[in-house]
Amino acid sequence: MPAAAPESKTGYILDKLQSLSGVVPIGAYLVDHLWSNSYALVSIEKYNQVSGELQTVPWRIGVEAAVLWIPLLFHSLYGMYIWSRGKSNALSHPWMSNWMYVLQRWTGLLAFVFIGWHLYTERFGGHGVTRYAGVAQDMTNPWYVIAYLVGVTACSFHLGNGLWNFACKWGIAITPKAQHAAAWFGAAVGVGCTLAGIVVVLGFHYAWFPLGGYVQ
Amino acid sequence: MADKTFIVRIKRQQRPDESVRWEEYELRYRPHMNVIICLRDIAEKPFTRSGVESTPVSYDANCLEEVCGACAMLINGTARQACTALVDDLEKPIRLEPLTKFPLVRDLVVDRSKMFEDLKRTHCWIPIDGTYDIGEGPRMAPSVQEKGYPLSRCITCGNCLEVCPKVNQRDPFVGAAIVSQVRLFNMHPTGAMHSAERLEALMLPGGIADCDNAQNCVKACPKGIPLTESLAAVNGQVLVHAVKSWLRGE
Ligand code: HEM
Ligand code: SF4
Ligand code: FES
Repeated sequence: MPAAAPESKTGYILDKLQSLSGVVPIGAYLVDHLWSNSYALVSIEKYNQVSGELQTVPWRIGVEAAVLWIPLLFHSLYGMYIWSRGKSNALSHPWMSNWMYVLQRWTGLLAFVFIGWHLYTERFGGHGVTRYAGVAQDMTNPWYVIAYLVGVTACSFHLGNGLWNFACKWGIAITPKAQHAAAWFGAAVGVGCTLAGIVVVLGFHYAWFPLGGYVQ
Repeated sequence: MADKTFIVRIKRQQRPDESVRWEEYELRYRPHMNVIICLRDIAEKPFTRSGVESTPVSYDANCLEEVCGACAMLINGTARQACTALVDDLEKPIRLEPLTKFPLVRDLVVDRSKMFEDLKRTHCWIPIDGTYDIGEGPRMAPSVQEKGYPLSRCITCGNCLEVCPKVNQRDPFVGAAIVSQVRLFNMHPTGAMHSAERLEALMLPGGIADCDNAQNCVKACPKGIPLTESLAAVNGQVLVHAVKSWLRGE
């Protein structure tokens, strides 16, 4: 019985903002981040040039806080609250979508831990200046490589499955057919991000430049 | 030749505050038996497998043809109607438990008034009487009838709530059945006159935003109601309503 629940629409608005923040800005940033890091597969100079651009945006702290840290903190903490309100039952009702519900939560937590560590080591540890050589140095450590592979996979899964959730929960994909299509779209984004992430990590680890064909 | 028999295990509880006990009954097999017949056999001769005298098992049932919804329970762990659960199709021993998401009354009987209260809370009816005769309503297009009919088959059994991770003691979520009824009543030309009230109710705690898309409901529904479609459609309706009233400053 919802006896003591306050009769207000605040919960609805917060739920919607949590859902939206997963797609924009967080999801959009994840895709953009994998894109800009893919310059590491072109050449060291190109990578340093692109990351240098990103690291010198004006009002940097404010932009990062408004576009990344605050939405991410809100999405994650409120996401944990949403998680706590559910009671997973995938063991007794092992349907695929039910496992996705469980995985959406655990990959979210993994992503949060990974992103926290990633920010600590690459953003704050290096005082906001990262160059190819520094990242490549980190990636000589096999534990870093493993952490990145797990982290990128978790983030990508969470985004891909989240896009399917989003399409259903915002009334974008209504019929089973449309929801099926949205699931495939989400899967494509998830797999695409995972693969891009893995290749970038391996590129740093092996100083490998598979996309450098046009560089003299 | 000895009769063919099978075992039924039942989770029993005299009162909600009493401790649980499991009882085993050995029943004589006849062709075409369903779970309700098993419970009737037990009521006739309430002796457990080890010969101890017990009491008839309490259960709800009415129509015996999957239209009243009353007989929902967990059969071998699956939320379903007892009257359409055929012994021939079930793995033995057959395990019977009450639904877990509703307050227990006794044995296999639960109190599903939450669903009725939530139907009221979300204005799931069509007012046809005023203080005077308000006359005939508009005609319903056949295409709308076709969409509405499957939704109207809901029997309020509660299986969709039972399997939903977001329906539990911590969250007042109304569940898929109620959201689907909102869609049905909003579809009806007379019902549509009150759609704003229904959508507003679904913005309150326990409303549509509590759905986290585990999509279990649609798999558990004995009437094959397209619940995930209803959830997505009503999600869109609530969103459009919310944005419009916000822009208008209502
Ligand atoms: C501790 C960290 C996180 C937690 C606990 C978390 C939790 C959640 C939860 C509970 C949902 C709702 C799923 C549903 O309604 O079925 C969700 C959705 C989503 N999350 Fe996260 N998340 C976290 C981090 C992230 C990160 C780092 C990203 C970026 C890739 C992200 C992107 C998304 C997206 C795109 C959605 C879909 C929005 C929707 O469900 O409508 N989340 N997250
Ligand atoms: S929607 Fe289906 S499962 Fe849910 S109460 Fe109605 S008939 Fe039962
Ligand atoms: S007795 Fe009516 S649905 Fe089973």
